Amino acid sequence: MLTAEYFDGHSTRVRVVNLEADGQFLSIAGEDIERHIPFGEVKVDERLGRAPRRLHFSDGAFCAVRDLRGLDALLSSVAHRDGWVDRLQRRARSALISLVAVVVLAFAGYVWVLPWAVAWAAAKVPAVVSRQLSMETLRALDGNILLPSRIPLHRQQALSAKIRALRLPAGGDPEGELLFRRSLQLGANAFTLPDGTIVILDDLINVIEEDRQILATIAHELGHAHGHHGLQLLLQGSVVGTFLAFYVGDVSSLLAVAPATLVHASYSRKLEEQADAYAATVLRLNGMSPTLLADALKKLADSHRGGGDMGYLSTHPAIDERIRHLRETSR
Amino acid sequence: MGLGTMSQEDTGASQGGTPTNSAPQPVIFTGSGAEYFGIWIVNLLLTIVTIGIYSSWAKVRRMQYFYRHTELAGSSFDFHGDPIKIFIGRVIALAMLIAYNFSVRLHSPLTLVVVVAIAIVMPWLLRNSFRFRLYNTSWRGVRFHFRGSVASAYRVFLLNGLLTLITLYVLAPFMHQRLKTYQHNNTWFGRTQCSFHARAGQFYQIYLVLLAGLVIFGIVVGFSRIGGAFIAASNAQKHGAHADPFAVLRALAILYVALIVVAVSIGPIFHALITNLIWRSTRIGEHRIECNMSPLGLLWISVSNLALTVVTLGLFIPWAAVRLAKFQLEAVRLVPAGKLQEFVAAELDKISAVGEETATAFDFDISL
Repeated sequence: MLTAEYFDGHSTRVRVVNLEADGQFLSIAGEDIERHIPFGEVKVDERLGRAPRRLHFSDGAFCAVRDLRGLDALLSSVAHRDGWVDRLQRRARSALISLVAVVVLAFAGYVWVLPWAVAWAAAKVPAVVSRQLSMETLRALDGNILLPSRIPLHRQQALSAKIRALRLPAGGDPEGELLFRRSLQLGANAFTLPDGTIVILDDLINVIEEDRQILATIAHELGHAHGHHGLQLLLQGSVVGTFLAFYVGDVSSLLAVAPATLVHASYSRKLEEQADAYAATVLRLNGMSPTLLADALKKLADSHRGGGDMGYLSTHPAIDERIRHLRETSR
Repeated sequence: MGLGTMSQEDTGASQGGTPTNSAPQPVIFTGSGAEYFGIWIVNLLLTIVTIGIYSSWAKVRRMQYFYRHTELAGSSFDFHGDPIKIFIGRVIALAMLIAYNFSVRLHSPLTLVVVVAIAIVMPWLLRNSFRFRLYNTSWRGVRFHFRGSVASAYRVFLLNGLLTLITLYVLAPFMHQRLKTYQHNNTWFGRTQCSFHARAGQFYQIYLVLLAGLVIFGIVVGFSRIGGAFIAASNAQKHGAHADPFAVLRALAILYVALIVVAVSIGPIFHALITNLIWRSTRIGEHRIECNMSPLGLLWISVSNLALTVVTLGLFIPWAAVRLAKFQLEAVRLVPAGKLQEFVAAELDKISAVGEETATAFDFDISL
């Protein structure tokens, strides 16, 4: 005998009834009600915490049972078996296993799957889209953070010619546009836009001075362009942002946006290494030593030490390690 | 479960059903964080394994967990949403989000087309979303309904939205009042219509509190903004590691964080005040609703939830959700105009026709 509340689905009237298993039938008996329903037609709700569990009947009526153990006993007597997710949800052991699995999957996803997927997707983005993205970025920065270059035109042209003349590992010459700009905020720096356009800032040329070393830093930027690193970062930001929005979304949607910017950072070290490796290959291919890049990085690092202003160091991390690595590989 | 607890629960249940009971009925939330953790983590795992597809099923479970642990007059609520419809809604919402983000990022001439297209379908989507949410909510086996017309949805969302923009948000409180009027006046519980009685002036009063808070925060942030943000920006850079070439933009990110701080502190206070107003101004037939949510209490719950969620890398989320739900739900009481059971009996004959009503194929939930 099991006490339950019966609702007919048409009114909010509560009827207290007794439930009993009667062969393959569920018998319901109480205040002006008497029903026998085949168990095959009874839909048993999942057990969620200690909430009353419901037995739904095909006509919209249902019974709510508070005595969950009593209901389990009744259901097992007719060989009812709860769904597997239902059973997993209420076991401490499966919660613990799920927790471990979530942590492992999140870690593996972030460290291995995401970079791979993002690199794959970045290579698939149509050229029109990355071109448009780059033009928009440039339009937003020009006249704002970026000012016209003060490097003499003949020097600009000489540098451009040398860069165009570089042979690339995959064959062919550098295709992306080369732009000269000056910036008060970004200091000695160079960066690559999603479509492969490379922007060189005056301070970088002034700090490095030596053409072959400038060429080496551009080779590094060509590595970023070759790997579609700009797009990769953009895509990764979106994916991580979406996941965090979902994960934290339970509590606060505002919160979800914040961590995306934090996670952005450490990923780039790997991309820097890739770009360095690409630069080293390009330099060797053109009869130059990868140490040229190391020397250029050293100059940039020295020009910024103690300054703390924004420059090459702030956007190209782990510079000491990279210099060491480049010198080792060129031996 | 022993016999003792059972009989206790029995009396709890029959109390609400007793015809003589016309005392205010508190809402009681009986969920527990530990219990919900088990459900949450299993569903999170299934969601990750299915690359997000299972999240719609997880959402239904989450809703059901919270609805079924919410009791009024001894009976709990229930959620009947179909996970497939939630999934469809999410796909649509995601498509709109991607279309919008891409066109805005690219500054393409298509942006205007996309924005106009979204503006045109949005009121219809939101109205269907209300319908889905209410139709799939029930108490004691009787479902809620939303009967707002599509035309009114366009007036409330599109026309009033435009007016709000044109008047630089001076009309925002008025728009909020119109929206709640549209929502609550068109809500039915079975055959009983709900009604909304708050005036726009009452909304303006609460928005003034919000404005005052924002102004104070603006002054504080303004003083430290230029220097503080940029010092913090260069500090952040010394520690590491960012390939974003436009480092200056980081300063903007810090301003953004300041905005989040504003939202975390002023948000709950505003939310408590406005929720109190909205529920106190809503009636179900002749029955009134009381809502006494303490603004400082909500602030404390929000801030401590946030801190514990960050410290535990999100593991506290289930407890945070349960705490928040309990605090908000238990602030609400139903004040019956007469005897609760009597009211139901009087409405009984009209209910049956509505019971069969089904949501159309275009009803879905678009909340992500």
